[in-house]
Amino acid sequence: MSKSSTIYKGKTGQWAFILHRVTGFLVFLFILLHIIDVSTLNDPTVYNAIHQLYGNIFLRLFEVGLLFALLYHALNGLRVIMIDLWPGVIKNEKALFQFMLSLAIVLTLVGGYFIVKPFFVGVH
Amino acid sequence: MAQALSSRQRSRQNFETWAWFFMRISGLILFFLALVHMFIMHIENDVTQTTVAFVAKRWQNPWWRLFDWLLLSLGLLHGGNGLRVVIDDYVKRASSRTFLKATLYSVAAALFLLGTITILTFR
Ligand code: HEM
Ligand code: HEM
Repeated sequence: MSKSSTIYKGKTGQWAFILHRVTGFLVFLFILLHIIDVSTLNDPTVYNAIHQLYGNIFLRLFEVGLLFALLYHALNGLRVIMIDLWPGVIKNEKALFQFMLSLAIVLTLVGGYFIVKPFFVGVH
Repeated sequence: MAQALSSRQRSRQNFETWAWFFMRISGLILFFLALVHMFIMHIENDVTQTTVAFVAKRWQNPWWRLFDWLLLSLGLLHGGNGLRVVIDDYVKRASSRTFLKATLYSVAAALFLLGTITILTFR
């Protein structure tokens, strides 16, 4: 394999691509930590203490960021797959990117509302 | 154009094609698994409610164990393979590349084991 064969050098897609990498990397790092925190399940005190931490405002904001990373990566990944599958899609690639990015932002705002709200008004 | 490839180059190419295909398929499956998981943990419930009792109830249903195990294995394989490509792209020195990839594979394998054990041994 020649070097940098997988680095995308296009114009429009360049930012889409970099953001895709960064978000994929971040979600991966989170999964690594997450598998460790879930592995404390057999020690209820430790596990419950950790998952109580997830409820503080800083981690809630972090979770909103994680949600955006996941949504962006998922929707842009879908866009990449569509471009691969249907040759015609490339013509609308830019509009499709703007659509996916907007959708990710809107869904993050909606989801973020639900993630942050319990901190202020309690659960239900 | 049509140059003869050594069998090593050819198997390398087969692997990359396979990996390319795998990223698409696993991506499509993760699309549902990961987003549903986030929905359950944050919207349907709240993070502060995801206690041991909550998981014990969920995991009484073996399908949720399977769901989590698929999320675990596909997430690690998809993310791990993605990072393999990222390392190939940015790390120029062959020895650093080997070292980073060995670390990546070891960490992913260890966490795959840990996650699988968690799912299997939780009463
Ligand atoms: C901060 C947000 C999240 C919370 C509060 C959360 C919560 C949980 C909980 C309570 C479990 C225990 C099993 C269950 O009840 O299903 C679990 C397992 C798991 N979660 Fe998450 N999750 C979050 C985000 C994510 C994300 C973004 C991913 C990956 C895309 C992910 C991947 C997994 C995996 C792979 C398992 C199984 C772990 C194992 O086998 O030990 N989670 N999560
Ligand atoms: C939620 C649904 C997901 C979809 C639809 C998806 C889709 C994709 C696709 C199509 C690629 C290949 C991009 C390319 O060849 O240009 C990719 C790369 C990648 N994905 Fe995902 N993915 C998803 C979830 C995840 C998760 C949960 C993680 C983290 C564990 C992750 C980490 C990565 C990484 C690190 C890359 C490599 C980025 C690169 O090579 O530039 N993805 N994803």
